[in-house]
Amino acid sequence: MTRIALAAVLCVAAIIASAFLFDTYTVNILTRSFLFAAVALTVDLLWGYTGFLTFGQSAFFGVGAYAAALCFNEFGASPEIVALSLACAIGAAGLLAAVQGWLSFYHGSTPLYASVVSLVVPVVVTQLLFSGGTFTGSSSGLTGYDVPDLAIESWFMLAGMFLVAVTTAGFIFVRSDAGRVLVALRDNEARCAYLGLRTAGLRIVLLVVTAGVAAVAGWIYAGSSGVVAPELAGFVFGTELVIWVALGGRGTLLGPVFGTLLIDLTSSYLSGSLPFLWKLLLGVAFIVVIVALPQGLIPAMTARLRLLRPRRATIPVLAATPARTAPSADHVAIALQDVARSFGTLSVLQGITFSARPGELVSLVGPNGAGKTTLMRCLSDGSERSAGTVAINGHDIAKLPPHRCVGFGLGRKFQTANVFDTLSVAECLAVARARRSFPSPLRSAGSLALPDAALAILRATGLDRALGTQASLLSHGQKQALELAMVLALEPSVVLLDEPTAGLTLQERRHIGGVLTELATTHGLCLLLVEHDLDFVREISSRVVVLHQGRLVLDGTVAEVVSSELVRTIYAGASHA
Amino acid sequence: MLSLSLDILTTAAILFTVATGLLIVFGVMKIVNFAHGAFITLGAYAGLVASQLGLSPWFGLPLAFIAGAACGALVERFVVRPLYGRPLDAILATWGLGIIIGELLTLGFGREVQFVGSPLSGTIDVLGEAYSVYRLFLVLAALIVGGGFAWLLGATRLGLATRAVIMNEDLARGLGINAGWVRFITFSLGSGLAGLAGALITPLSSVDPNMGVPWLLNAFMLVMVSGASLGALLAASLVLGGAQVIISSMFSPILGGLTIVVLAALLLRIRPKGFAR
Repeated sequence: MTRIALAAVLCVAAIIASAFLFDTYTVNILTRSFLFAAVALTVDLLWGYTGFLTFGQSAFFGVGAYAAALCFNEFGASPEIVALSLACAIGAAGLLAAVQGWLSFYHGSTPLYASVVSLVVPVVVTQLLFSGGTFTGSSSGLTGYDVPDLAIESWFMLAGMFLVAVTTAGFIFVRSDAGRVLVALRDNEARCAYLGLRTAGLRIVLLVVTAGVAAVAGWIYAGSSGVVAPELAGFVFGTELVIWVALGGRGTLLGPVFGTLLIDLTSSYLSGSLPFLWKLLLGVAFIVVIVALPQGLIPAMTARLRLLRPRRATIPVLAATPARTAPSADHVAIALQDVARSFGTLSVLQGITFSARPGELVSLVGPNGAGKTTLMRCLSDGSERSAGTVAINGHDIAKLPPHRCVGFGLGRKFQTANVFDTLSVAECLAVARARRSFPSPLRSAGSLALPDAALAILRATGLDRALGTQASLLSHGQKQALELAMVLALEPSVVLLDEPTAGLTLQERRHIGGVLTELATTHGLCLLLVEHDLDFVREISSRVVVLHQGRLVLDGTVAEVVSSELVRTIYAGASHA
Repeated sequence: MLSLSLDILTTAAILFTVATGLLIVFGVMKIVNFAHGAFITLGAYAGLVASQLGLSPWFGLPLAFIAGAACGALVERFVVRPLYGRPLDAILATWGLGIIIGELLTLGFGREVQFVGSPLSGTIDVLGEAYSVYRLFLVLAALIVGGGFAWLLGATRLGLATRAVIMNEDLARGLGINAGWVRFITFSLGSGLAGLAGALITPLSSVDPNMGVPWLLNAFMLVMVSGASLGALLAASLVLGGAQVIISSMFSPILGGLTIVVLAALLLRIRPKGFAR
């Protein structure tokens, strides 16, 4: 933190000094480059950190610039109008971003669709500016309006300090615990949703904030240059921003800032002498970088120095959360009534009705294709089932998305290990706690409090000694255990486990089996387990539900199922009965 | 009324012709070719070169196809192939290619707007209404392009392999289909079609180095709502192109220009599959 502050102070000092060193032309150009760099930084936050490739940040820059120019043009540049125009710039851009976010991000949206919408927004804004007649100046834009009475050098310093402020804030944010949540969104959005995070909401909030930053940059641009044109909001500028970020190095913050400064400054000097050749060279460099150096030019050059990469936070100390009282066993934890799922005419599940109470460990068995995983999906995502009702702890899940189901006390462990590849073990666990206490956007916590059950899983599999390891480097079994620990970190009262011990050693299976039984017996959790290993099922289950061809065929104790002729027929085939 | 209907029909035909190449590339390769706009421009300049050489305007059409296909073949080999599996990066790289092609055209032909003569001039009497012959010819061209593609996909061995790759690339590969070859042919063909479309639309508008960009956006949105189906693309071109013509004539051409992108984005929000079944 102190190092960042020191660097920021040094940058501000350098900007103030250079205002008096450079000639007017350079000062003018750099003012613009500072503002473009601030917008490029927002593109990097969205694209490099959360994986949302956006061509639309130019629209917010343009909206901010036009908000200033229109206010100044109509009402002059008195201090009240300055404040009003700034508020208009931020408000209008924020509103536009909220609309864009609502269109782009919803449960089930795809990254490509979000990029498509980000293309539409600047196209619409430019066309509206074109059709604004004398009010917006149409294709020639607005010029000659009153601007706040500041010297060129003052605008330069304002733009420079704005860039330093935005970069510093961005740096603090991505190194904080909340910043890790952004990366989690990029790595695995579905897992985030099943950790109870409102992924669409988070993305929309981030888009609105970055739109506000871009609008302020546009506002300063309109004031300092005295000219605005529809191209400022255009999609060509939007793609240029992406090119600068790619060349500078996505996901590094400083890379895009310096990349933009360098490219924009060089462009202004070279575009006079070699206009088309320069753009040609830039295009070639862009393709080479995308194909061969996806991490960007500046990181490739400074890789050895490791100057630019925001450093990983220190490994936190594990602690236990205060124990919770076990939920009373007299309510129903899961209740399914006539649940069905069909794809067109193909019926995968039909007429599934059963319920389970706290403290029960119910195993769901059945041959491949019986519909076990489909049933898990229907229990955790309201939009999955075609008919019937599902209630979690007495709450009807209706058509609610996964994060709301998690809010009712549900936790789901997927069939294949589902963790955040680029985060460390500790960071994955911290993201799993984000629903309980949303992480600070300013700092990274020194300790990580987890419930006993999650700690037990970590100890049983040795993950407590690998907290700093990146999740993608873990073995398959360790990933499974990590995901289970993440689910338990939610402190759920109902846990769905899809083959939780696949890929684990016998030793680890015993440990986890022990932990699971303890969760049910002493902590009073209700566990629903899909499992193929019938010996494992026999050891730990309190009840077994058998699915066959989409129907519930048996619901009884372990002894009843083991001695059932029907189950033997299903597993061994009818001819051996 | 009749003239409006003819406008809708011919506009849909133009949109269909422009978007087909993009659709086939998206369907087979699951990437969006943002250089499509630049290939359209390239085809337009091929038509311009043909007319400057004093050749028949008809000669510009095959020339444009060849120019687009040759350029597409190079691009597939050196830029698109390494990016297979990184679809968002492929969008960016092909956009960069668009910039390069645009700048090369500017260096070669200058920035100014130029005009190409129409191979068919004058009007023809349609049910008592005088209508441009060339616009009607474009309907025929769209039918030929669409029919040709349907035949290629439905009745040839290459088409069978292509459909297999569209449905399940891994399985197709396992059955001995050379998916890399299918992709190469597809991309070259799609680029060639973009060039052809460029040469077809120039007699209606003018030629300049950035003329492809607005076409790219409309074609892109049409492909997004059509999935990988030619039939859906036809429906989308008719419905959205029709809306564009109606809004342009009733409100303003500027709003008309936004119709396709805005309607397509809203449609995808409500029904992610768009026009595809």
